[in-house]
Amino acid sequence: MNPHDPQLRRKNIRLALILSGFALLVLITSFPFWQNIFQILGEAAK
Amino acid sequence: MCRRFTTVSGLIPLITGLVAGLSVTHSTQAEYGINFPPPAADVAQEIYDIHMLTMQIATFLLLVVFSIVIYSLYFHRKSRGYPADQQFHNTWFGNWSWVIVPALVLGVDLTIASNADAVLKKVWDVPKGEKLMDVKVTGHQWWWEFDYLDYGIKVESRYTPQEQAGDLYLREVDNRLVLPTNTKIRFLHTSADVLHAFWVPELAFKKDAIPGYVTETWSELNREGVFRGQCAELCGTWHSRMPLVVESISEEKFQAWVADQQAIKVAAAAEAAATKTWSREELMAKGKTLYETKCAACHQLTGQGLPPAFPPLNGSAIVNGPIEAHFNLVINGKPGTAMQAWGSLNDLEIAAIITYERNAWDNRTGDTVQPTDVALAR
Amino acid sequence: MSHTSTLHDVPHHHANPTGWRRWLFSTNHKDIGTLYLLFALAMLFMGGASAMLIRAELFQPGIQLLDPDLYNNLVTNHALLMIFGSVMPAAAGLANWMIPLMIGAPDMALPRMNNLSFWILPAAGTMLILSFVVPFFPGGGSQINTGWTLYPPLSIQVGMSMDFLIFAIHLLGISSVLASINIIVTLLNMRAPGMTLMKMPIFCWTWLVTAFLLILVVPVLAGGVTMLLFDRHFGTSFFDAAGGGDPVLFQHLFWFFGHPEVYVLLLPSIGVLSHVIPTFARKPLFGYKSMVGAMIAVGTIGMVVWAHHQYTIGMSLGAVSYFMIGTIIISIPVGLMIFNFIATMWRGAMSFETPMLFAVAIILMFTFGGLSGVMLAVVPADMQYHDSMFVVAHFHYVLMPGAVFGLFAGVFYWLPKWTGHMYDERLGKIFFWINVTGFNLTFFPQHFLGLAGMPRRIIDYNVMFTEFNVISSIGAMIFGFSHLLLLYIVIKTIRGGEPAPSRVWEGARGLEWEVASPPPFHTWETPPPIRQEQSA
Repeated sequence: MNPHDPQLRRKNIRLALILSGFALLVLITSFPFWQNIFQILGEAAK
Repeated sequence: MCRRFTTVSGLIPLITGLVAGLSVTHSTQAEYGINFPPPAADVAQEIYDIHMLTMQIATFLLLVVFSIVIYSLYFHRKSRGYPADQQFHNTWFGNWSWVIVPALVLGVDLTIASNADAVLKKVWDVPKGEKLMDVKVTGHQWWWEFDYLDYGIKVESRYTPQEQAGDLYLREVDNRLVLPTNTKIRFLHTSADVLHAFWVPELAFKKDAIPGYVTETWSELNREGVFRGQCAELCGTWHSRMPLVVESISEEKFQAWVADQQAIKVAAAAEAAATKTWSREELMAKGKTLYETKCAACHQLTGQGLPPAFPPLNGSAIVNGPIEAHFNLVINGKPGTAMQAWGSLNDLEIAAIITYERNAWDNRTGDTVQPTDVALAR
Repeated sequence: MSHTSTLHDVPHHHANPTGWRRWLFSTNHKDIGTLYLLFALAMLFMGGASAMLIRAELFQPGIQLLDPDLYNNLVTNHALLMIFGSVMPAAAGLANWMIPLMIGAPDMALPRMNNLSFWILPAAGTMLILSFVVPFFPGGGSQINTGWTLYPPLSIQVGMSMDFLIFAIHLLGISSVLASINIIVTLLNMRAPGMTLMKMPIFCWTWLVTAFLLILVVPVLAGGVTMLLFDRHFGTSFFDAAGGGDPVLFQHLFWFFGHPEVYVLLLPSIGVLSHVIPTFARKPLFGYKSMVGAMIAVGTIGMVVWAHHQYTIGMSLGAVSYFMIGTIIISIPVGLMIFNFIATMWRGAMSFETPMLFAVAIILMFTFGGLSGVMLAVVPADMQYHDSMFVVAHFHYVLMPGAVFGLFAGVFYWLPKWTGHMYDERLGKIFFWINVTGFNLTFFPQHFLGLAGMPRRIIDYNVMFTEFNVISSIGAMIFGFSHLLLLYIVIKTIRGGEPAPSRVWEGARGLEWEVASPPPFHTWETPPPIRQEQSA
């Protein structure tokens, strides 16, 4: 395995970007904006 | 500061106490207090029992693990010439232990969980459809307020300073939470500022006081006595100075206590409502007492405060400045700080406190604030 | 984002930089691992000093040394320094050093990001220390008296030092998320050909699970403290009931991070044990597959039981029953791990060098802490234990053996590999015995204090609690000062000693023992062949 192999580097960076995107998603959903969405949905259902 | 500080000689009874306490599972509060105090309510007894059950199961499992490990440490060592059994993980036990062990642990878990769940159902929710006595317990920085909602009585409870409390320092208060025995009591917990938690070990529960929330717990005391606990959720500087003392008395004595408290309340209200002009000396004397109970915890007896969290009043710009700002700060508090709104005090009390603050220590405004001035400022 | 920097060429190893450049610009996993470990060691001493001050104050009833806010500030600082400053960086240091060696990779997958994730730490550590010292300067505001849980509304009242702390937490969070991403990518993409996931050494497996946990939970903490910052300065009321917010929401966010964090601290040390015990028992790890299954189960169940830290907030009966049963269920995978360790020792040919002594102590003491954890999970009884010294005793019994002693075992185990010198075995054993005695003397009596009714985080207590506090404080001084011996042993080993062979321990298996001690600057540039018996 050659560490300078461009194919491996692309593969590494792609996986790192996917993981960091996932971390950002978790960060954003930790803000409770969805509480209001649930409320609005609940009221709409009535 | 410490009268009971023990040296090595104190360790010997301690160790014997430990051994005795561990062997006698239902020991009452040993000399050094190594287990929960004896419960004072039937539900508290249930909680105590589930605590003892899980502790016994845990102790048993611990002994099993320790025995196996110590056996292995002694016999399976290179220095004794024990040959390592390289195929141990390939025996039938090695192949199936991943099923056997979780199954055994699951059995223990289910024993604990089913017992705990049964107790939980009895203690968690306040009984419905029954007549309960409501006591609202409000946490403040750093005192407790008890509202007997059924009787219109309000009790403020603050720690007793060391000179008066002696050995009970941090376990004693000026006004206790007086409760009747054999009465189902519902506690409504809330807070005026930050988080606090109500904890009296004899009642065997703890509940957070959360601003904006009202949480419920209940109990029915089955014996008379004085039960001591304290605030259990970190609430700032003087978290250590929020003792809780429950005084459990018979229903007849409780009714007499209620009558006394109501009489005191009527007298205080009459005094505050009286349309009289108060002299500076009267207000200063009243103000000193009130300041020392309600304000001195933060601003200190000397008025020096504890900067930066608690500003000094001695020489303060607000206390020595225009009186309107002073009224506003006392009545409405300062949001986002530990300074709470004291608007629930009556006009006379606020007038006395402000008069005292403006004339105590090095403050020399010469103001005499009348209750009518406070009424106008509100 | 930082990842773009990795698009440039990975530096070729024509000339190895020397002096400060070697460390500041390092992209070498061994150097970065060393930096992590040194940083953790420095923070260990600072966190330890704050703990000793706390215990010195609690030596007798009354307020002798500290004022109450300073006491609470130390309580906060001790927890944050130890968790974020010491244990997590030390575990990351072991990961950096060992993972590439163990899987036959030349380096971490993203070496420049590796450099970044370490060099954020000194900045974060400075912020953390500033949050402690800023109140001592004029105009510095009040001290952080909230404890590491930072519960609002109390944390809204604190002065500007809380803002320093919030930024410190953000930096620490970024650092560990970046390190986790790097570790996951390394483990998934960089293994030597033939090393399948199920042949990977257990230490790598524990870090894979840990890294996923970190990516899942650290952003939640970041979100929580960001909202705290907004509530403090920008007029929002996420956590302010008066403005329509919910103070309990912060507790849920905090413990959604905080409970998996416990396993983040624990799992790398479990990984170390999975290497130490087979080595010194001279037989393979018992139940490799069940170990892997157990740690995945711990990670998964651990994500969904956070509210057992908040039984007293007034949840519904259904909610507390769920969290109670979920928490008790965790004892199944954890019990299986402990069982596997004991079964590895069983019928082995054990010898007791310092790493093995720590490993045995961990098994015994962690079992103890785990069982008191089962007691705490029981809701009705927890209404008594909650926020008492019993809890303090419990989590120190879990975290000290479970995390810190595991790291000590790892350091003694791999120190000859890193430095090329054997450490002084006699001093190592003396350190172990003083350390473990001091630890038990400190924390065992705290169980009794909690049961007798002493809450945690109080500066002053009634005289009825004196005896056990005296014992605990004496123990804490022994425990605290014993770490100077650790420092001495480490320095002595770095400076010299009996040369270590490449396979330092007779029973050691794995690729890391096939390179020289100390390993050359670059290892496994051609991937090693994987033979069955090499996998742990």
